[in-house]
Amino acid sequence: MGRRLLNALVTLFLVLILNFFLFRVMPGNPIRMLIPQDPSIGQDYIDEQIAKFGLDQPLYVQFFTYLKNTFMLEFGDSFHYKEPVMNIITDQLTWTLILVGTSSILMIVIGMAVGIIAAWKHGGMFDSGSLAFSLFFYAMPTFWLSMMLVVVFALELNLFPEGGQLPIGDKLTPFTFDTFTDLLYHLALPAASLTIGSIAAFSIIMRGSLIDVMTEEYITTARAKGLSEGMVLKDHAVPNAMLPMVTLIAMDLAFVVGGAFQTEIVFNYKGIGWATVQATYQKDYPFLQAAFLIIAIAVIIANLVADLMLIYLDPRVKMG
Amino acid sequence: MVAAPQRTDGSAGTRRRRPSHSWSAGRLLGGLGSRLLDAMNLSEPTREKLKLARKKVSEVWRIFKANRLGMTGTLMLLFFTVMAVFAAQFVVAFSWISSAAGHPWAEAYDPFESTGDGVLQDPSWEHWMGTDHLQRDVLCRTVFGTRVSLLIGLVATAVSMGMGTLVGLFSGYWGGWKDELLMRITDVFLVLPWLVLMIVLATLLPGGPSVLKVIFVIGVTGWSSTARIVRAQVLSLKERTFIERARAIGSDDRHIIRRHIFPNVFPLVFANSILTVAISILSESTLSFIALGPPPTEVVTWGNILYDAYSRNAIFNGQYVWIVVPGLCIVFVVLSFTFIGYALDEIFNPKLRKR
Repeated sequence: MGRRLLNALVTLFLVLILNFFLFRVMPGNPIRMLIPQDPSIGQDYIDEQIAKFGLDQPLYVQFFTYLKNTFMLEFGDSFHYKEPVMNIITDQLTWTLILVGTSSILMIVIGMAVGIIAAWKHGGMFDSGSLAFSLFFYAMPTFWLSMMLVVVFALELNLFPEGGQLPIGDKLTPFTFDTFTDLLYHLALPAASLTIGSIAAFSIIMRGSLIDVMTEEYITTARAKGLSEGMVLKDHAVPNAMLPMVTLIAMDLAFVVGGAFQTEIVFNYKGIGWATVQATYQKDYPFLQAAFLIIAIAVIIANLVADLMLIYLDPRVKMG
Repeated sequence: MVAAPQRTDGSAGTRRRRPSHSWSAGRLLGGLGSRLLDAMNLSEPTREKLKLARKKVSEVWRIFKANRLGMTGTLMLLFFTVMAVFAAQFVVAFSWISSAAGHPWAEAYDPFESTGDGVLQDPSWEHWMGTDHLQRDVLCRTVFGTRVSLLIGLVATAVSMGMGTLVGLFSGYWGGWKDELLMRITDVFLVLPWLVLMIVLATLLPGGPSVLKVIFVIGVTGWSSTARIVRAQVLSLKERTFIERARAIGSDDRHIIRRHIFPNVFPLVFANSILTVAISILSESTLSFIALGPPPTEVVTWGNILYDAYSRNAIFNGQYVWIVVPGLCIVFVVLSFTFIGYALDEIFNPKLRKR
């Protein structure tokens, strides 16, 4: 357990170094990365920023200043929004979290259900059918699937809006029942496009894992005790087959975040993915840097949590 | 990797085997190979080795042929490869069909030249998939788009496979702190969301958009899982007796890695790389879609076409063909690589073959 914590910390530190390298060392002139190339900017502001990030100091001093600033969530001012990056990013993070959270839950539940049925009836119609179906959607670029959903369900069938979050000023407060239904109404298509593409990853692993578990001796024992097939599945097979899913959920998060970026662009859903892509168009480097670091840290922490959960759920892992 | 639900016990394959044709692709290649070998006038050991390699390849091909999923993928890929190579001829063939239907084209269209038939036209006999915002024929662009889409997928995969294999080989072989350091770096690339890293790299790297830059960006972000797989394989190989024997007769590290470890790792890397091509093609289309891909004015890829379609509001103007067809091309190419990858995985992964 301590080892995993240490590994995560090292990974985190390497990400900090990578980020520093990408945004401060590689461009040659770090000032370009933190102060907009805009003649209307006053010299006072430039001097203030240079002092804050130690841009006139040698590189190694800059690195420590950078570490300190990062810990205090000080990423500079967004070129585009003209205010500290942290002020704007939290709102967008909330929106992305809602999207990624909803679809993660959906894809885990649906993926596992499909996998369990496929394994239970393996070799049958549902098995090959669900595999073909889920692989087909797995092979789709998420942005394209999103566009297809817009075409079919928003434009042709007129069931859902073609984009955006809430019309009420894009805010969640006050959180009334109307806000809630409106939220779901706007969330349906983005969440669906993110979910559908990832079902395959979960259903295939769940199926394989469950088929593996079904050959174990304790399953034979359970059957010998006279348990019904359903009870064997529910009480003995599925809980054990679920262990690889925990790792998968964490591993898949990197892909889900990538998918969320694409979904957010197509649906004009103003989360962090949408904002990051806007930032690349606007060359808003402070924003890009902050988004990169925050997403990376979030994913690393999620992976660590999954690792620790696995130890708790499966004591064998600790020894391995 | 996961096995696709296939009967791989061999019985299904043999039962369905038809009487051998007068020619088969395998025999044709085999005959060509042996004639080539004769013509090349090689030294005896090299010739022996080549013969062995040929035997191994034909053995793999024999198992592969019985795999329905793998063969479907191969046929699909073959179609797209032919389309990439003979893109111009495909367009000419389409123009013949239009002529036969009584609507001859003024010329066989060029993917970059305006046709002069107006912007954003709906599909017609003259333009099966309509025209885009620069009056270019979308069908022609889609056909030609196969080229760079496939090329970027393949080359980017070669880059990431090369990096991953190198890191995995050395990490596993060296062990100790070097291994530890390399694996922590691998972890970083494994954990980081690939798209985010690609966006940052593509934005920050100097120089404008280009095919090379896209290949580099995809290659650099995609090597980590290969490194992990190779390392695990090297760790188990290192303990085998034939490595010990090689060391006992005085082979140095370079020799052992090159002659004993790498050949044993290669099949695994190869099977893995097929799946990586699928991911690389998806990555290219995504990068192009957010305008970080190769320049749309000079290069046409399916991702570029989709970017054009999306940014010119093809969705809301009802020009669905412009979006649906290039997207389906991506889906089927990715599927073909996925199918082949799964089939190869079953062949090279003995644990799965038994099941």
